Amino acid sequence: MDLLAHLLDPWFIGLICGGTLMGIVFGAIPGMTATMAVAVCLPLTFSLGLVNGLALLLSLYVGGITGGLVPAILLGIPGTPSSITTTFDGFPMAQRGEGEKALKIAIIASVVGGLVSLVALYFFAPVLAKFAIKFSYVEKFLIIFFALTVMAALSKDMLLGIFSGVLGIFLSLIGTYDITNGGNGHTRLIPPGMDYWLDGGFALLPVLIGIFGVTVILEEAEKGMPRGQSLKDIEVGPHSRFSFSIFRGQTTNLLRSGGIGTFVGILPGVGGSAASILSYTAAKTTSRHPERFGKGEPAGVIASEAGNNGLTGGALVPLLSLGIPGDSTTALLIGAFALQGIQVGPLFISQNLDTWNAMITAMVISNLVMLVTMYFAIRWFAMVIAVPKQILYPFILMMCVIGAYTINYGIIFDVWTLLIFGVFGWLMVKLRLEVAPFIIGFILGPSAEIYFVKSLESFGDPFIFFTKSWIAAVLWILIVASIVMSVILSRRNQGDGAMPT
Amino acid sequence: MDNLTRVTIDFDTSHLIFPTIIGIVLALLGLAILIRDRRAIAASPQMWATTFRDMDKPRFLGALGLTIVYFLAMVPVGNIWPNSGYGFLICSVPYMIALGLLFMHRRSSLAVGSMLAVAILAPPLVWWLFSEIFFLTLP
Repeated sequence: MDLLAHLLDPWFIGLICGGTLMGIVFGAIPGMTATMAVAVCLPLTFSLGLVNGLALLLSLYVGGITGGLVPAILLGIPGTPSSITTTFDGFPMAQRGEGEKALKIAIIASVVGGLVSLVALYFFAPVLAKFAIKFSYVEKFLIIFFALTVMAALSKDMLLGIFSGVLGIFLSLIGTYDITNGGNGHTRLIPPGMDYWLDGGFALLPVLIGIFGVTVILEEAEKGMPRGQSLKDIEVGPHSRFSFSIFRGQTTNLLRSGGIGTFVGILPGVGGSAASILSYTAAKTTSRHPERFGKGEPAGVIASEAGNNGLTGGALVPLLSLGIPGDSTTALLIGAFALQGIQVGPLFISQNLDTWNAMITAMVISNLVMLVTMYFAIRWFAMVIAVPKQILYPFILMMCVIGAYTINYGIIFDVWTLLIFGVFGWLMVKLRLEVAPFIIGFILGPSAEIYFVKSLESFGDPFIFFTKSWIAAVLWILIVASIVMSVILSRRNQGDGAMPT
Repeated sequence: MDNLTRVTIDFDTSHLIFPTIIGIVLALLGLAILIRDRRAIAASPQMWATTFRDMDKPRFLGALGLTIVYFLAMVPVGNIWPNSGYGFLICSVPYMIALGLLFMHRRSSLAVGSMLAVAILAPPLVWWLFSEIFFLTLP
């Protein structure tokens, strides 16, 4: 099916529109995220096919990241972690009656940031994939090692971040050493009496849905289900006069923020909040009026939203070229590919050109749907913040059960996995462990094992990881650089608080 | 020199190599955390006591308990009508109602009514969508 056929397919377009709108709703409700939206809707993709399923999930992703701007501006509460810096200037604008203006600025900045990242994705991912085809097991292992060190570098606490990542790898190794990937088919790390259930290890998707769905609801229950907002709290404001002239002189800010977001997205495991914080900081330091930031400066809203939406395309670059997810949401997309029996990696784009084009098209359309609907119906979207949690959360838990149960064609242990990892995620938060490195470690663990053991089997020399090729040498330089950066950031964070990821 | 660094992997035990290395790294990291955060770890019983004191126990433990009962009941109920997904359908309605009532703060007739409407209508709709339209297996 070519691109035109996709564009004329009402099912494809309908899923994008529906996904974007649902994503905006998830993003707009504080506590619910784009990741949760994707997790809840994953089972739907079972019957939709790869292209339509991805269209739905990518639209949820775009909508979810953008939806966070609504409560960030109107309530001063970031709907998603990536909207944190939107509150700095968006909320003061809303407080002085410029809510609608701030929302429209944020929406347009989001679309520009999203489109900048898509351009980068479209041109950069195939080049990186073409290059990555040359990688042997050694380089593939080093790439994963690099991804883990970058995550550690940007963790709130370096040591706990590394520990979380390694713990994720460790738990991913439970079960059989997979024969289909060249393993010997023997099991390991299975607690006594659990052989029947854990022969294949913990299934990835129930683990992800548990950590991103159940954990959030348990945390809210622990806090006593804080009351939602009433419609009075989310008044958009009567004095909002929006004009495109606000964007005069902001082209550099828009492009730079979109570019920073894209770059941060490419780094594996680094979340949207880092993208928006870096964009915001760059906009503030280069502004002629840095003193206005934090007091309702439109440039701050532009930087934050263009930055976090820049993440959407960027995070797909390592996923589609190397098979390494750029963030938690794209980690869930691996599940969607797995459901369809497709492995993402360097060969994905060249072997699935149609799917690749459809993905880019879906994201462009999703950005445009988001622009049109939010620009003209922002007052209505603002109202979703007031949806009661006693209705939402039971429904989400029910959807999580469907997701977990259907992933492997009806295994009840996957439903228990959901609860086990929901509680485990809650404990992780209490113990200050980091969810993002854990998840990336859990996803990449089995591949890391295969690449590591096969490298040793093939070359019989541990030093091969240092001497294999110039690519390996470059990767070691990057690994050392990221470790040095972790130490520097860790020392700096000790003084002035951690950078959220 | 070449022979000194040479390693031979026994295929039969190759499944233990990586888990052993990762296990050792994890233990070393755990030890480092134990040394660095020894004061915080020593104070952890107090932290957990505070957590449980400040926690909304009925809602947290109630949500956990209801979810466990929901999971336990789904399969036996589903086995009465095999391969129909009725276990999911029949158990989801009371689960959503109980959880909705548990999470609700002020049980006004409007709040209870809207919650009941969703709890009664959503499971059949979702069951129909997944089971009848998408042909997915439900408990």
